[in-house]
Amino acid sequence: MKTLIVVLALLPLGYAYYTLESAIDPIKMLYTTTGVGAMLLLLLSLAPSTCQRVCALNLLRFRKTLGLFAFVYALLHVSVFIVLDSELDFVTLFAKSLKKPFIYVGVIAFLILLLMALTSTKKLFARFSRYHKAVYGALVLILLHDFWAQKVAGAFEYGMMAIGIVLVGERVWHECRFDMSKRH
Amino acid sequence: MPTPSITPEILFEARRHFLKLGAGALVSSTALSQLLASMPEEIQLSFTKDPNPLKLTPNTFEQVSNYVNFYEFSTDKTAPVKMAQVMKLKPWSLGFFGEIAREEMVEVDDLIAKFGLEERIYRFRCVEGWSMVVPWIGFPLYKLLDYLRPNSKAKYVKFTTRHEPDIFPDQAKGLFASIKHPYVEGLRMDEARHPLTFLAVGMYGKPLPKQNGAPIRLVVPWKYGFKSIKSLDLIECVEEQPLNTWQAMAPEEYGFYANVNPHVDHPRWSQAKERVLGKLTKQETLMFNGYEKEVSHLYAGMDLRKQY
Repeated sequence: MKTLIVVLALLPLGYAYYTLESAIDPIKMLYTTTGVGAMLLLLLSLAPSTCQRVCALNLLRFRKTLGLFAFVYALLHVSVFIVLDSELDFVTLFAKSLKKPFIYVGVIAFLILLLMALTSTKKLFARFSRYHKAVYGALVLILLHDFWAQKVAGAFEYGMMAIGIVLVGERVWHECRFDMSKRH
Repeated sequence: MPTPSITPEILFEARRHFLKLGAGALVSSTALSQLLASMPEEIQLSFTKDPNPLKLTPNTFEQVSNYVNFYEFSTDKTAPVKMAQVMKLKPWSLGFFGEIAREEMVEVDDLIAKFGLEERIYRFRCVEGWSMVVPWIGFPLYKLLDYLRPNSKAKYVKFTTRHEPDIFPDQAKGLFASIKHPYVEGLRMDEARHPLTFLAVGMYGKPLPKQNGAPIRLVVPWKYGFKSIKSLDLIECVEEQPLNTWQAMAPEEYGFYANVNPHVDHPRWSQAKERVLGKLTKQETLMFNGYEKEVSHLYAGMDLRKQY
């Protein structure tokens, strides 16, 4: 099962590798595949705890793998920004990052994912797990980043947002119900 | 130019042949398929070649015809390639209205016969940050304007894409359409009369592929690509500045002029550099997309930061 997840998670990367040669707009293609990969995996990493509550299916052991893969794609996405798009011109890169909301929103989201990835070892996770709730902040910022990156938002953007709302909404609803039952 | 009646003629002849032969039909149908196979697949246009003084290297036909913004079909870059094949290009008449000597509708083929064809190898820069070099085939817009004879009230030229929801699925989506339809663009009269401003009916020696805005489109090489409106239906000479579609959609992001300018960023992204299609490295974007010498006088005294 874990191997299957790893293989599935590597699919977007394989796609990028095989289409790079023939890509008409290669930088855009790499941005899209790594960005979409990160978003899908991040949403998937939120699914196991939903599954456990809704259908008593315990997939929690895959959560870390999915989350780390989401981080790997985000890292590749940022690398495209730094190496290919900005061509290691750090002055312009910082100027752009500070000036353009769509970029700094993405940078903040990436920093959150970076901290989560660094504290994902068993030992550190025990201490930092409560800070991992920041993933919801990262999710909101990433969805916003994707919206702003498009000239007009299409079905994909609205689809991602809908999935995000369902996953977060279920948690909020669950918390509320839990609160109510505590009061009784 | 071969006329569209060629195919029916061949089929007609083949059918007569077929009827004559009667039982020998098999042979005849093989002959028919051979005939069809030997027909030229694509019409080649005859035109004056561009000497290419800027020594531009065109992108490949595959790149240019498989990476398009044609929101009437889809916001995706490649989906319109298949979707656009439902377009019927003949007949296609273009309407000329407004402040001109005589309002009329003219077939695209008649325009080609009237004005002749020439090649223009132009840079094309999209507001999204990518660029390409395309050998267009067509005629300069001033030739058409000379023919239409705009009167003294004609200060602007307004262009409109065909509105036909049966062909363009996004036009049938009403409130859920990706942009406002029909697509509208505009040029100031002096911009429209500039010798670089071009109406393209072909590219790479052939008629325009449907997804590239067939049968006739505008090409304004010093402006962002969205000014170069596709699949034209109407050209009107008007007194007031037309409200172009992208300005109507997001006025703080897209203006009327939309001149390529590396010093004025789009609010969401930088315009200093561009990605040439097919390349992993970027290149500097040039003022007025490299046509500064030819067009900068049109904007003398204007604040290009405000009039973006």
